[in-house]
Amino acid sequence: MASTALVILELVSAAISFILVRFMVKPYLWSNDSRYVGLPIGFTFLGVSYLFMGLTFYLKADPLADELKWVQLFTEVYAFAFLAMTYYFSGRELRPRRRLLWQFVFSALILAVIVTYFVIFEPFSSRFALPNYNLADRYISVFDIILATYVSLYTLRSHVSKPDAKTIYAPLGYIFLAFGEYSSIIWSLDSSFSALVGEYVIRLAGLSIFLFMSYQTFSARGPA
Amino acid sequence: MKKLARRDKMKIYRDILSVIQSTEKNEKIILTRIQQKTNVPFDRLKAYISELGELGLIQNESSPRLTEKGQQYLSEYEKVREFMKRMGLAYQGES
Repeated sequence: MASTALVILELVSAAISFILVRFMVKPYLWSNDSRYVGLPIGFTFLGVSYLFMGLTFYLKADPLADELKWVQLFTEVYAFAFLAMTYYFSGRELRPRRRLLWQFVFSALILAVIVTYFVIFEPFSSRFALPNYNLADRYISVFDIILATYVSLYTLRSHVSKPDAKTIYAPLGYIFLAFGEYSSIIWSLDSSFSALVGEYVIRLAGLSIFLFMSYQTFSARGPA
Repeated sequence: MKKLARRDKMKIYRDILSVIQSTEKNEKIILTRIQQKTNVPFDRLKAYISELGELGLIQNESSPRLTEKGQQYLSEYEKVREFMKRMGLAYQGES
């Protein structure tokens, strides 16, 4: 019963993330600027990571669930890495040297994604000894929090520089995603029910904020 | 002197369409007026006007008028810009 609820919550999170991709891709398509491509990629990875988490809850004792847990872990960290990278480069004019740096970071991330999945799945996984999952989960979640906090502070700075009630949604959404990660660490440490509920409530609240903001912007009649 | 940010094509399209939209319906739009308002060299402006015509965003290239598709383009452009602002993303195409 509890695992069914977790599967549903993960699927709902994934569904919201995939709906958000439809909106997040627009800045890239309209500006034709490759720096913004990290936004839809980030939310796609976030959705895929929730989907994999749901699958691991569904499969439970199946050996495939162990591999999927690792995939989920790395997919989530790449999601936040793509988002952080997008924000880091979006505020800067791309002069030749910086453009080269952007291309290097973007290519390195893509390469890291490919290598990670090769390492996790057969036949390569047998050649690498993967560390303890719970320990890795904690460290990677801390890294997720750092990346999500960077994006939160970046968007918050942008809100503070030109205060507008409408620009508070993004920092709020990212802060909620960071707190969701924090709750997941607490849950992995003490297995408390409140931390588990907190993780899902905070995460869904964060994703809902993005969804609300996106619909509010694009469903407005005439210019928003 | 402050250096102006380089505009991307979408922003130039938007600037041209905005000038056309802001002109009174019974007023004749001449390309030199659009050129002055958008600050685009005349030869490039003619190429842009031709592209906008091919895309169905304007009609009558000698004295252009916005089509319904052109109106939708402007509306959608403003929404995307607003979305980027709300997402805390800086848009380098803006001057």
